[in-house]
Amino acid sequence: MSTTILSTRDLSRYFGGVAALNLVTLDIMDKQVHSIIGPNGAGKTTLINVITGQLEASGGKVFYQDKDITKRPVHDRVKMGLCRTFQITSIFMGLSVRENIRIAKQAQAGGSLRVFSRRDSLQEVSKATEEIISRVGLEDVADQPAKNLAHGDQRVLEVAIALAGNPKLVLLDEPAAGMSPTETDQVSELIKSLGREMAVVLVEHDMEVVMTISDRVTVLHQGGIIADGSTQEISENEEVKRAYLGTENWAPLIEL
Amino acid sequence: MNNIHTAAMPAPALKRMRASKLNLLLFLTGVTVVAILPLILPNKFYLRLTNEIMIYGLLAMSLDLLLGYTGLLSFMHNAYLGIGAYATGILLIHVFPESLWLAIIGGVLITVLISAPVGWVQVRTGGLAFALLTVAFGMMFYTVGWKWYSLTGGDDGLMGVPQPDITFFGIKIVSSGDSFGIYYFTLIIVLGLFLLTWRVVHSPLGAVLEAIRENEQRAAFIGINVRLYKLIGWMMACGLAGVAGSIYILYRGYTGPGVMSAFAGAGVLMMVLLGGMGSLWGPFLGAAVFIFMQDYISTMTEHWEFFVGLVVILLVLFMPGGLAGFYGIMTKPRGE
Repeated sequence: MSTTILSTRDLSRYFGGVAALNLVTLDIMDKQVHSIIGPNGAGKTTLINVITGQLEASGGKVFYQDKDITKRPVHDRVKMGLCRTFQITSIFMGLSVRENIRIAKQAQAGGSLRVFSRRDSLQEVSKATEEIISRVGLEDVADQPAKNLAHGDQRVLEVAIALAGNPKLVLLDEPAAGMSPTETDQVSELIKSLGREMAVVLVEHDMEVVMTISDRVTVLHQGGIIADGSTQEISENEEVKRAYLGTENWAPLIEL
Repeated sequence: MNNIHTAAMPAPALKRMRASKLNLLLFLTGVTVVAILPLILPNKFYLRLTNEIMIYGLLAMSLDLLLGYTGLLSFMHNAYLGIGAYATGILLIHVFPESLWLAIIGGVLITVLISAPVGWVQVRTGGLAFALLTVAFGMMFYTVGWKWYSLTGGDDGLMGVPQPDITFFGIKIVSSGDSFGIYYFTLIIVLGLFLLTWRVVHSPLGAVLEAIRENEQRAAFIGINVRLYKLIGWMMACGLAGVAGSIYILYRGYTGPGVMSAFAGAGVLMMVLLGGMGSLWGPFLGAAVFIFMQDYISTMTEHWEFFVGLVVILLVLFMPGGLAGFYGIMTKPRGE
């Protein structure tokens, strides 16, 4: 069976007096797609932000490969193989697609303090960059500035940058947001294949995607976990249905 | 052989190669013009003006490294030219009256050492807060220069700075106070530092700085220690400004607190914007235009600042990328 790669213990985050995340205890397994769902405001993005170091935890701990990383700076966590994408596209808009991926690869592989050599002198980095470009299918736009890309391609680049960090655990915050059905299908295929190589945490509103590719689902509601289990168990869970009642995401969950 | 090679290249790559050949040609032409200028210029006045343009061009280029490549705005980058000038001058007066090299190296070292703790505070911020901190530190340095009479000469400035011969491994190459020799000394140092900086911004380190400029959050999330690399960029920019200061005191033999004023800081920023940031060479043109304009207009009216401001406003409105941006548009292959 797979091993635990990341655990949270009583993880909390308050904004003012409001608990966005309340005593969340969760284990993420290696080589699984683990989805985190919940109605708007459930604390999904806050959870990812605290795990990756974007936000400080107000209480509790995060363990990654049995090491306490609760206080580690962001770049340390990334170097340990904890990479992420953002709900709101966060890429290097002014740089070419290739350079977006190359710099991410360089930051992971080292060589950033080489002051007098050319960028393409880091041959391993260049080679790995081309591999990622072809894996995510951005060959045709590789020389374009990222800002010229269509929304769907920018979302794919967002994932590609995360992959360039050689993640052991990648956290994807709504990767399919705003994508066309065809693009959504392609990206879910990609996520599914990633789940065979590394641990994937997926936050996604598209229930069809979640239910098709997840190995495990955790449901957050008002900052706490209300259910955790296989897709089958989650779709039959009464409390989950109640949490979603009256929200826009309710109907598709019932259908499944 | 060469033809077979180029024939096999795709069209965009070929255009890029032609463009880079044109760039190299223009660069060599520019350097040649600056190099033969003293031989054809009628009087010493223009020699000194061009010398000043080279020094301020170096300062503007160092600000471009910070602003155009790392994305950090400094309103008072001239403070580090001032520190370099004062430090080199004070070393020349009190410590190394005979050795220019030691004074220059010492002056630049002092500038970098001062910039380190300042940078440590600076890089904890970004954007507007960063820019405001540069003003805060700049004003403190200005006050030190203006008020610490015993060390800096206060508002009289630093006077009586010796101008030793410039020697190279014991061989005298420029006699004391020879403006002709100092011109070429400046040219060689500025050219060398331009090429060095060019190398750095196209290196893997330059790629890190660009990533920080484009998106600090994402830079951190690909594993870059953003504060550390911002500090590296900051200290490089301050070190280059310190060199500009060292040459400044050598060429002038004097410095006053005025070089560290907020007004002078705005001038350096204008040079970068005029020339076009993110190009390294643009700021040299910007410095040329700015200093020439300032000199030309000030012969006609003492309110030259008003007209310089006006010209800058027009250029920023109608040429937002500066001269470098304009050149980029003109030489861009069609359809790209």
